[in-house]
Amino acid sequence: MKKLQSMLPGTLALLLSLIMLFPLYWMFNTSIMPTSEILSLNPPLWPTLSKINFDAYVSILHNTPILRWFANSLNITLWSSAISMGISILAGYSLSRFRTRGQAVMGFFLLVNRMLPGTLIIIPIFIMTNSLHLINNPLAVILTNITAIVPFATWMMKGFFDSIPVELEEAGFVDGCSRLKALVRIILPLTAPGLAATGIYSAVLAWSDFLFARSLLLESSQWTITVGTISFIGQYMVQWSSLMAMGFLSVVPMIVLFFLLEPFFVRGMTSGAVKG
Amino acid sequence: MNTKRNAVFAYGLLVPALLVVAVLLVYPMYLALNASFRKGQTSNFSKINELPFTLDNYQNILTDSAFWHSLWISIQYTFFSTAIGFAIGLVTALLLNRNFRGRRLVRTLILVPWAIPGVVVSLGFIWILDASYGIMNAMLRSLGIISANIAWLSNPNYALWAVILPTAWKGYPFFTLMLLAALQSVPVELYEAGRVDGASKWRLFANITWPGIRPAAVLSLVLNGLWAFREFDFIYSMTRGGPMGATETLAVKIYNQAFSFFHQSAAAALGMLTFLICIISVLTVYPLIKEQFFGGSR
Repeated sequence: MKKLQSMLPGTLALLLSLIMLFPLYWMFNTSIMPTSEILSLNPPLWPTLSKINFDAYVSILHNTPILRWFANSLNITLWSSAISMGISILAGYSLSRFRTRGQAVMGFFLLVNRMLPGTLIIIPIFIMTNSLHLINNPLAVILTNITAIVPFATWMMKGFFDSIPVELEEAGFVDGCSRLKALVRIILPLTAPGLAATGIYSAVLAWSDFLFARSLLLESSQWTITVGTISFIGQYMVQWSSLMAMGFLSVVPMIVLFFLLEPFFVRGMTSGAVKG
Repeated sequence: MNTKRNAVFAYGLLVPALLVVAVLLVYPMYLALNASFRKGQTSNFSKINELPFTLDNYQNILTDSAFWHSLWISIQYTFFSTAIGFAIGLVTALLLNRNFRGRRLVRTLILVPWAIPGVVVSLGFIWILDASYGIMNAMLRSLGIISANIAWLSNPNYALWAVILPTAWKGYPFFTLMLLAALQSVPVELYEAGRVDGASKWRLFANITWPGIRPAAVLSLVLNGLWAFREFDFIYSMTRGGPMGATETLAVKIYNQAFSFFHQSAAAALGMLTFLICIISVLTVYPLIKEQFFGGSR
């Protein structure tokens, strides 16, 4: 009885996690089943082993520019994350180590960022992009993503820097390190978990973006995977296997990244490092 | 000398961040505010500032019943997606706070929806909620809850629920994370003392757990509420605001006005009002959250 009771939370949690992952499972299940199985009034919950096939994946790889969109998404995500992280590391370090007006200013913009509707800000951004002739240029989306990421990423990095004793870089100064050198050589290696947490936050935000890419990239060859996938709703409505295969493929990179970096992310979020 | 050099260094590090904020947040905000006071429409977005000044946009919006309808839809959408997300988040956080084998893996599994793009979540739910072959209808039928299929996305009575579901699904891991962090800081000794006094499980929760996590709960509710209130991806990809405006929240209405009907000034004014509503809401609850507004993720 006692043993049963101690197993209860784990079993419940596992059960709940499986229920919560049902939408993902269902996407995958649909993508590997033939249409005849799917279009049923009472579809079987488990795939019929003999009917499993990957035709939908072959078909979308052949008939849609999905690889192109994948590459576009990857390009935009990498640049958005890299630049955001660079900016956030510098700003976070400054906020953590020096008392400046920057504290109030960045805090204020973090607040504004959390209240500003994305659909409002995209109107002037569209106007600006248009006058700079950057419509259909991924750079426009990268820059817009950066604005969405930087305020909170900076605050995250500040939290991580706060948890590292100042004495460490002071020891570095004694040894003749410059401030910047001390940051790169001494402090950054110690914030590796923080960098991982901020990195995954940035990447997920950039990869998930739909609004900015949808509004600023009008040429289908420039679309990201989210915009491309959504463009097939309606058009491919009857080909559920293909549609689900596309949706499932588009989340694989983020799921992999999340599984690799989740411990850092949770530790960063739960250690109180980001309480500000 | 040294302090002066430090100050230069301190501000120097902030320059890139401030530049991004100034060019891509402050200036666009100025453009939007300016556009919201302009009369008429133009097919050339760049020429919007040459239009004459007017207050009409705001007046038209506030006297239009469609605005109040959208506000009401936004409130319902925000309330229910946040409430459902919070309930799932609280249960999962309480479970993950217990010790069991494989906890790390289960925690990762439970948090996965956070990493899935909103529009892909929507895509999955469009299929799940499909009127003819969706698994939701099949399950509800086999459980005897409904006798005939429901057209979740095209029936105005159900469409709002259809967009609330994926929003709550994507949103709950945020609550799990915030509440789990708070739970882990509740001293274990308190529970031991409570158990010695013979307190029931419910009393332990009400008198120890809840007071311990209440600040984090309130903050996460506010942050998630703000997120849902401004959310665009789910609704746009599932219904575009339809059927018959049943899911047209303010955030979606702004986009439709600007990019489907090309009423940029009206859209900007609507966006400003939406922004204002967010500011007023935050100011209202500010005393409750000021301690830790800058914590949490999103």
